[in-house]
Amino acid sequence: MTDIMQVEGLCIAFGGLKAVDGVSFTAERNKITTVIGPNGAGKTTLFNLISGALKPSGGRVIIKGKDVTGKGPAALQEAGLARSFQITNLFFEMTVRENLRLAAQRLEPVRQALLPLRRHGRAADKVTALIERFGFAEKAHEIVAALSHGEQRRLEIAMCLASEPQVLMLDEPTQGMSHGDTEDTAQLIRSLTDEVTILLIEHDIGLVMSLSDHVVVMHQGRKLAEGIPAEVRADSAVQAAYFGHG
Amino acid sequence: MHDRLDISMRANHVFFWILVIVALVFAAFASFSGDVFYLRLATEALILGGLALSIDILLGFTGLLSLGQALYFGIGAYVSALVLREEPSFWLAMGAAGVSVLLAGIAGGLIANRVRGVYFALITFGMAQVVAKVVYNSRELGASDGLIGIPVIEIPLGLITLSAGDPLGFFLLTLVIIALLYSVSAYLLGTPFGRIIIALKANEKRVPYLGYSTWAARMAAYVLAAVIAGLAGALYPMLRGFVSPELLFFATSGDALIMVIVGGAGTLAGAIWGAVILTMLKSVIGSWTEHHLIVIGLIFMSAILFMPKGIVGMLKPFVERNLLRNSARQPKPEPERTAL
Ligand SMILES: Nc1ncnc2c1ncn2[C@@H]1O[C@H](COP(=O)(O)OP(=O)(O)O)[C@@H](O)[C@H]1O
Ligand SMILES: [Mg+2]
Repeated sequence: MTDIMQVEGLCIAFGGLKAVDGVSFTAERNKITTVIGPNGAGKTTLFNLISGALKPSGGRVIIKGKDVTGKGPAALQEAGLARSFQITNLFFEMTVRENLRLAAQRLEPVRQALLPLRRHGRAADKVTALIERFGFAEKAHEIVAALSHGEQRRLEIAMCLASEPQVLMLDEPTQGMSHGDTEDTAQLIRSLTDEVTILLIEHDIGLVMSLSDHVVVMHQGRKLAEGIPAEVRADSAVQAAYFGHG
Repeated sequence: MHDRLDISMRANHVFFWILVIVALVFAAFASFSGDVFYLRLATEALILGGLALSIDILLGFTGLLSLGQALYFGIGAYVSALVLREEPSFWLAMGAAGVSVLLAGIAGGLIANRVRGVYFALITFGMAQVVAKVVYNSRELGASDGLIGIPVIEIPLGLITLSAGDPLGFFLLTLVIIALLYSVSAYLLGTPFGRIIIALKANEKRVPYLGYSTWAARMAAYVLAAVIAGLAGALYPMLRGFVSPELLFFATSGDALIMVIVGGAGTLAGAIWGAVILTMLKSVIGSWTEHHLIVIGLIFMSAILFMPKGIVGMLKPFVERNLLRNSARQPKPEPERTAL
């Protein structure tokens, strides 16, 4: 089975607004599936429905063959899912290392929750490796609030990886980044497909086209089109709705 | 290099050790001069320090403002008093108080943890007021007079037996028990469990995505705090020979909250320092003027305005800097690994 996640007809409405309206797609193992669409299309809301932040009013989410619809974020973490946030969501008063340590501690058995931290070698090794890999060696003991925006965005991704998830959801990871940082982040995301399946929301169309294996286009809560990047780019409905001047 | 949270906790230990040394020096002087009044008062200060400690776990680490922590302090005191009147056994009284307050903490937590923020504060306040009124109106519990005539107990401690009536001995025993409560709290906050508690205060919304139930974590912190308050409360009747409904009133909760803020929220040791300082001030100022509450109120207001981090909170950065410098100087063969 190469499908690791199936999303079937997810729905939610806020008041009269159908923010997500019957969206279905599947994510293939170790591939990058990208959700695109204009602002307000419902991409973040779709992520919220999948990651347990919101309960869908209809539809199903299946991860590794298990129905996880309507479960909370903690249960979805357990099921192998990790997500980052469009609006940076970290423990700002803690250091980089402490943030990663928190995210990694689920690697250890819960029955060790009352042993001192220094007894948790696996989580500590994970943190050390992530600090190395994400280039935080110099800043490991900096308070997160003192990091640059780009560094905070990068830490968001590192936090997600700390728990060794199977599905990684990234909500506009390059948002507000400089051109150089965006390029680095793209490189990084590409390198992650050995370990995880990635579900991405991204605005930069160039990046979407070069990174994605599969693209899902959303518009006003609905799925407008899906396919490999070239197909989607050629789709006339997508051009009208999204590329605007197509 | 160490985590900031570790350095922070070690700085707390420094302030706690200073308190222990001051307490021992004081005890030596007091026993030489044959003082009883101040030894008793200092014992009471330490007992209230246990209550303040429990508030600090909630306020300073979990980010929960309890306005009714005296509820558990009072339950511990009453259960201890009831047991001692039947059977003058220190260990039985402590055990019974511990179990009762554990159950009460679970019950109270189930109610209070349904809500957040201001509502949490109001519910904790309300629960304590309700129970205080019930006790106040229960003849079986001595109503407004409380329970009096609690016998002076002998406390078997393995090799020696200590009398609760011996001011020096009971002061030292209380110091040991408060040190134990402090150590257990500090230890737990340094475990993965403790880090989740601290994460709740830092950014509760992010915690579920780490794979933890915020409800369960808040509940655990709340019950832990209840048990600490209750065990401290259990010592009260051994010291004073009586318990009264005032122990459950808001005045007790509010005073303890002031102790935490004056001492420094989020420092553990500051809660106990705050208890010692406020108890002493009350007594000293009370001997000068009847209006000691006004003076205490003014001190509290100026403390908040000029020392918002409290006494320990204000001094702590200096200690932390020293600890950091020392830990940086020590060569470590495998620094990243030993850092945890
Ligand atoms: N919690 C909410 N309550 C009410 N409306 C919401 C909420 N979350 C999102 N919306 C609305 O749903 C629509 C989709 O939003 P969102 O999913 O954030 O879009 P995108 O991420 O694609 O830019 C928007 O119109 C937004 O205003
Ligand atoms: Mg969005």
